[in-house]
Amino acid sequence: MSARPQPKLSPSPATAAARFPLDAATLRNYLRQIVMMREFERLGEREFKSGLIRGYYHSYAGQEAVGVGFVNSLDLNRDYIVDHYRDHGHMLLSGMDPERIYAELFGRRNGVSKGKGGSMHMYSPENHFLGGDGIVGGGIPVATGVGLALKQQKRDGISLSIFGDGALDTGTFHESLNMATLFQVPTVYLCINNMYSMGTSLARHSSMPRLVDRAQGYGMGTEQVDGQDVWATTEAAERIYARVRKQKKPYFVEVLTYRYQGHGIHDKALNYRTLEEETAWHERDPLKLLSSYMIEEKIMNRAEIEALRQEVVAELEAKVEAAKVEPEPDASELLEDVTL
Amino acid sequence: MIVKKSTHEALNMALREEMTRDERVVILGEEVGQYNGVHYVTRGLYAEFGKDRVMDTPISEESFVGIGVGMAIMGQRPVVEMMRMDFALRAMDQVYNHMAKIRYMSGGRLAVPMVLRGPEGPGPNPGLTAQHGQQLTAVFAHCPGLRVVSPSNQYDAKGMLKAAIRSDDPVVFLEPGPLNNKQGEVDDGEYLVPLDQADTKREGSDITLIGYGASVALCLQAAHELERDGVSAEVVDMRCLRPLDMAPALASVHKTNHAVVVDYAWQSYGPGAEIVARLMAEGFWDLEKPVTRVAGKETPLPYAANLEELSKPSVEEIVAEAKRSLGN
Repeated sequence: MSARPQPKLSPSPATAAARFPLDAATLRNYLRQIVMMREFERLGEREFKSGLIRGYYHSYAGQEAVGVGFVNSLDLNRDYIVDHYRDHGHMLLSGMDPERIYAELFGRRNGVSKGKGGSMHMYSPENHFLGGDGIVGGGIPVATGVGLALKQQKRDGISLSIFGDGALDTGTFHESLNMATLFQVPTVYLCINNMYSMGTSLARHSSMPRLVDRAQGYGMGTEQVDGQDVWATTEAAERIYARVRKQKKPYFVEVLTYRYQGHGIHDKALNYRTLEEETAWHERDPLKLLSSYMIEEKIMNRAEIEALRQEVVAELEAKVEAAKVEPEPDASELLEDVTL
Repeated sequence: MIVKKSTHEALNMALREEMTRDERVVILGEEVGQYNGVHYVTRGLYAEFGKDRVMDTPISEESFVGIGVGMAIMGQRPVVEMMRMDFALRAMDQVYNHMAKIRYMSGGRLAVPMVLRGPEGPGPNPGLTAQHGQQLTAVFAHCPGLRVVSPSNQYDAKGMLKAAIRSDDPVVFLEPGPLNNKQGEVDDGEYLVPLDQADTKREGSDITLIGYGASVALCLQAAHELERDGVSAEVVDMRCLRPLDMAPALASVHKTNHAVVVDYAWQSYGPGAEIVARLMAEGFWDLEKPVTRVAGKETPLPYAANLEELSKPSVEEIVAEAKRSLGN
């Protein structure tokens, strides 16, 4: 049996920061965003277990540095996102109000999808967020079409297609990358490799251990990025987006990260990964890496970080409570938004 | 002005007119451009509108339907061709889970104004066999969120395709393969045919023959034969399958009290089954006899000429079924 995937060793935050400096205000903002995403999922998980959130709940906890780099670096006045189902963090970073997201999770009429979409199907056209998607690989051609439309409409933007490592095993990934180059589409394909396709490890679902190697052969630039540190993701995202804007050609990037929860909250991840592996990844937790750097550099101290966390939690708790008491959709809305 | 055109020429006129009218209309598909369209529907459009409006795709149905979905939510008006509708089975995740559902899943915040079109059924040429000549109407018409239409003549083909391109809903436009090369009257001027109205194609008083797409032509031939035997048959064209407009069929049955439903699709779970069920639910008290069906035989489309003919619904079967219903 092949070895289990190991965290990629990369420079310490201090080294990364020296290579790609981010100012204190940016780091404070990033820290707040990571805390917001982490706590959003913690409260969401609690509400899922209480029974208020139905169906599936895919937590983003552990992967936050990916969104910090790759969503923040977009210009959502002109760029668009087509996401997959693990989408709550990216929605928050796109500027969506947490209350509207919780309201959707609670099945309320004022949820972002009027209570008709749920966790995996949230859309915010005004924030250029064109959906999560419940089908692995399903959003990849859609994102390619968004890029093609931007090109045909002679607009300046790019589209960001977000998917996991499991999506590389679907036909749409390979078909879409082929057409993206044929049609010269300004789309960035962001593969968030969290090492598991549901409960199947990379070694068990991928013919090659490096997913960038499987993206070769479609005539586009590719690279692999450390997804745990915000300097690495920000540097890569800014550079890649500038290149795609300039060249108006697609690009593939594989980001290495880890999800702390199972595939969904109902999955305890007991059968397919080890405590040792989880511990190793927690050592390089994106929140830990960033906050320890900020403490060392005296940008914030421990007490200030804890105060920030409590402030975010209070804000989110208020959103949860407000969303809980919002009305359900009216029965008449069942047959709206579909042609009869 | 009324001109004589084949079905593919009528469809071509519709595409040319809409592409001229609206630069957001873009065609995608296999061999639609340089090759000039396998069934001639896109003939000449590549030369006229160029490679960015008539886009040749690789054989990647799932993804180029998905690309159409992405373009549509961004405000383009993609018309995606399936070389044969059978190949849409390759694209079904995008059709069912994306094209049909994004409007509803987004609470109406996004629309998917695209057309998925192509020939279905055993034709134009014989011998298409099991993977190229299927009548898959029911697969599409089952799914809420899609509009599904199938014209039965050249005039409707042009007017309905134009209406489909202008619709804000995703439309599955099923071109009756057996009629692709058949000629009929078309208006070369501007007109639209609505996407939610069935149409009576022949008046009659004794029995109602109900079809859609290519089976309407069989109904009309059967009506002609029945007339020689003194039976007056009305023919109703269910050209809009989702939403399904029952009004003309119900009005006709109210008059004739007898009906036969004719369908190239397999009988089990086919569109004919839905039409019969609605007649029973809404027109039961007008019926003197049970509504029966003439449909495709429950077999993959065979190759041998005699077997292929036997597998399809025939005028003789319709005439016999009509006479049985009338007790003649």
